[in-house]
Amino acid sequence: MAGPQTKLEKEGEDCSLLPLVHDIIKCMDKDNQDVHQELAKLKAKIQEAREQISNMPGTDSSPLEQQQQLATLREQVRTKNQLLQKYRSLCMFDVPKAS
Amino acid sequence: MAAAAAPAAEKSTKDRLLSVLDDLEVLSRELIEMLALSRNQKLPQPGEDTQILELLVQRDREFQDLMEVAQQQGKVHQEMQLLEKEVEKRDSDIQQLQKQLKEAEHILATAVYQAKEKLKSIDKARKGSISSEEIIKYAHRISASNAVCAPLNWVPGDPRRPYPTDLEMRSGMLGHMANLPTNGVNGHLPGDALAAGRLPDVLTPHYPWQSSDVPVGMLPPHHGNDFGLEPPGHNKENEDDVEAMSTDSSSSSSDSD
Repeated sequence: MAGPQTKLEKEGEDCSLLPLVHDIIKCMDKDNQDVHQELAKLKAKIQEAREQISNMPGTDSSPLEQQQQLATLREQVRTKNQLLQKYRSLCMFDVPKAS
Repeated sequence: MAAAAAPAAEKSTKDRLLSVLDDLEVLSRELIEMLALSRNQKLPQPGEDTQILELLVQRDREFQDLMEVAQQQGKVHQEMQLLEKEVEKRDSDIQQLQKQLKEAEHILATAVYQAKEKLKSIDKARKGSISSEEIIKYAHRISASNAVCAPLNWVPGDPRRPYPTDLEMRSGMLGHMANLPTNGVNGHLPGDALAAGRLPDVLTPHYPWQSSDVPVGMLPPHHGNDFGLEPPGHNKENEDDVEAMSTDSSSSSSDSD
């Protein structure tokens, strides 16, 4: 599907630092006074990326570990559902019919 | 850049991202410094800027890939949070079920205990069963003395009482056995005089419950007929009242003809 993939690519391009580095090099070539401004932008972008990474949920473990945790949780839910189903439907007493 | 001792797969995604970001920062700074120097002087190592640039592009690509992985992990994390909530709910249901089962167990244990006690009582009653006719006969005997119900023809002024009167005691077994003057010693009955220790031995009254190894001289002559098993106050007059009492509506005795 092109939609989600395009969105992901765009998000990937947003976090790339190369465009900013390219702008800095261009300014240096033109001896532009905006080079300091571009350097500040690069610095801010790096700091913003660090904060964003620190706040991203679910990244405290590797993808493999996370998949293992996910499988464990699914198994827990399945087991507990089975247990509840078993004891709720369990009838230990056969009520005799009134003669 | 930072060579991790452990394989990269074991590091968390967050740590890898921060590491790559640090590499990007260092590489971009070096590249910019190198370009700034190259404008004034020749580079000591030609092609070095190209190498740094290639490394920078590589690290940037790696950074973007890791960001995609981090986003996927974020979605998985949301699913895990939903599963954790479901697990909590199931735990709560299991605890509730456990509480109900314990309560049911307690109720059943109490019911079983009470049933066992009742069975014991039933068994005990069966072993000590008494004929209903015997009980009715005994009821007749104890009610014949008007101890449980006044006679039907009782009126105020009637000297009869539901207990042995003074006159009946004196005319009964104890009074005849003593054969004493009616006023006794100092106005007390023979039993009181004996308790006071002032009666002579020959006048000591005999009580059936006394031990047989008491000296013979201490006992008065035996009055066999006086040791009847009739309840106190039992006389002909009361026997007539049995008929009346047996027909009393409050009595539970059988009909007597």
